[in-house]
Amino acid sequence: MSGPQAVPAVQAVQAVPAVRVRGLVHVYPEGTRALDGVDLEIAGGAVVAIIGQNGSGKSTLARHLNGLLRPTEGSVEILGEDAAHLRVAALAARVGLVFQDPDRQIFARKVRPEVAFGPSNLGLRGAALDRAVTEALEAVGLGDQGGVNPYDLGYSRRKLLAIASVLAMRTPIVVLDEPTTGQDLRGVARVRAIIESFAREGRTVIAISHDMRFVAETFRRVVVMRAGRVVLDGTPAEVFSEPAWPVLASTYLEPPLAARVGARTGLGATPTEAALVEAVAARDG
Amino acid sequence: MEAPIGLLETDDATLVARLVPPTPSPYHRLNPTTKAVIATVASLGAFVIGGYVGPLAIIGVVLACAAVAGVLRRLVRVSALFTLPIAISVILVSVFTRAGTTVLFTIGPFDATLEGVDFAAQTLVRLFAISTAISLFGMTTDPRAFVLDLERRGLSPRFAFVAAATVEAVPAMVARAGTIQAAQRSRGLDTEGGLLARARGFLPLIVPVVLSSLTEVEERSLALEVRAFGRPGKRDLLWCPGDRGWERAVRWGLALLLLVAIVGRVAGIVGATV
Repeated sequence: MSGPQAVPAVQAVQAVPAVRVRGLVHVYPEGTRALDGVDLEIAGGAVVAIIGQNGSGKSTLARHLNGLLRPTEGSVEILGEDAAHLRVAALAARVGLVFQDPDRQIFARKVRPEVAFGPSNLGLRGAALDRAVTEALEAVGLGDQGGVNPYDLGYSRRKLLAIASVLAMRTPIVVLDEPTTGQDLRGVARVRAIIESFAREGRTVIAISHDMRFVAETFRRVVVMRAGRVVLDGTPAEVFSEPAWPVLASTYLEPPLAARVGARTGLGATPTEAALVEAVAARDG
Repeated sequence: MEAPIGLLETDDATLVARLVPPTPSPYHRLNPTTKAVIATVASLGAFVIGGYVGPLAIIGVVLACAAVAGVLRRLVRVSALFTLPIAISVILVSVFTRAGTTVLFTIGPFDATLEGVDFAAQTLVRLFAISTAISLFGMTTDPRAFVLDLERRGLSPRFAFVAAATVEAVPAMVARAGTIQAAQRSRGLDTEGGLLARARGFLPLIVPVVLSSLTEVEERSLALEVRAFGRPGKRDLLWCPGDRGWERAVRWGLALLLLVAIVGRVAGIVGATV
């Protein structure tokens, strides 16, 4: 890295779409067509889940957002700028990508240096770096673990550490790949709280998940992918409503239990337990 | 012993069928040991016979096999890449330091002799023959199928597992390193910059590779033990590559041919004088 890179201010980027993907095609060298003409626009500050069966192209799409993969065809714009013209190190200041497996990134012997790695690569130094690290660790509930060896933490806490290490980079766009894998209920609640705090700060959050309950309860928009294409795009109530079930089934996805109960009992679209309870209460007067 | 897939329930047969590596050509379908024997005989044959005719004939046969396997272009490219570094040093050393009577040209204190060029050319032909033979084996043989075949022939299961794990560890580690590099680049690690930037990125890349490899080894060994890997006695294989009578004959024929070449070379009947 040649020098400190400016991190775009979160508030300043609301005017343009955070992500604009046009006709994106990605063919891997061995010939797999992982993305087959994806068109997607995500507004600044949006909280979006991408769901789909394994191999539907979700992770490939995520890797295009920070330049780890380059389009075979089509284009990816990040905050109004064509990603093709930016190096990964530069895109890292705009898009923070949390990988699924934390053990694929942890290298430091203490938690704090691990979290400091990303922001220091972006040019943060001294007190500002310290503050970013402290805030990120506190946000994921690891505030008192700064001096601990990351491998002394359990898997779910290492996962939170990986999220903290990207959180500290203060990128306007955050992409989370399977953030709830390996998390118990408390961990899932923690991840949901983190995403909600991102949203309050005006950051754009894009998460890949197979946890339909988590998706329904956390995200305002759900994008469903199948065979490298977007096949559904709407609110959780729309995507998990009964008419959309055949499409979900074609991607080997099942709507959350609350949505199924709501549909089976004639209560309409109830993607979350809260919506289901509300619908029952409304029906019973 | 082609797998008894036909005797299994449909689900089990589907599961076992996944163990069977793809065999897109008749050459791929040869028994792995047959291909190993071809590679060994071709490599040793080129070395033993020497000269031009023998190694060139071997190269011709190997390239013909590669054409049948559909890997001709890749084979030539890979073999050339393997041969190139050695070729450069062989040419430099042989051409300028080998004693000879016919001096072609002189650079400083060094004479390039015709004998040196001849020696370098013969060495390169041999090296290319060996490289193509081994590369063809690697490109057309699934390592696990080869190890299973050896296990069927009496290799200890423990040794077979170690061999298979070793062979498979390299691509697995390369894939893991790729993911780790992607994760670190996502955190702003500059791997596209200059030498200094790349050097700074060494530790964040190597530590997760090593640690995750160690973890995987531990998990894998535990997973093996809980599935009674250490149980003594003979075990059945779910699948192993088939073998045919004519392939056995080919293997013995090739071994005999190599023996003849060695005897002929020792007796001075075949081979070059280099």
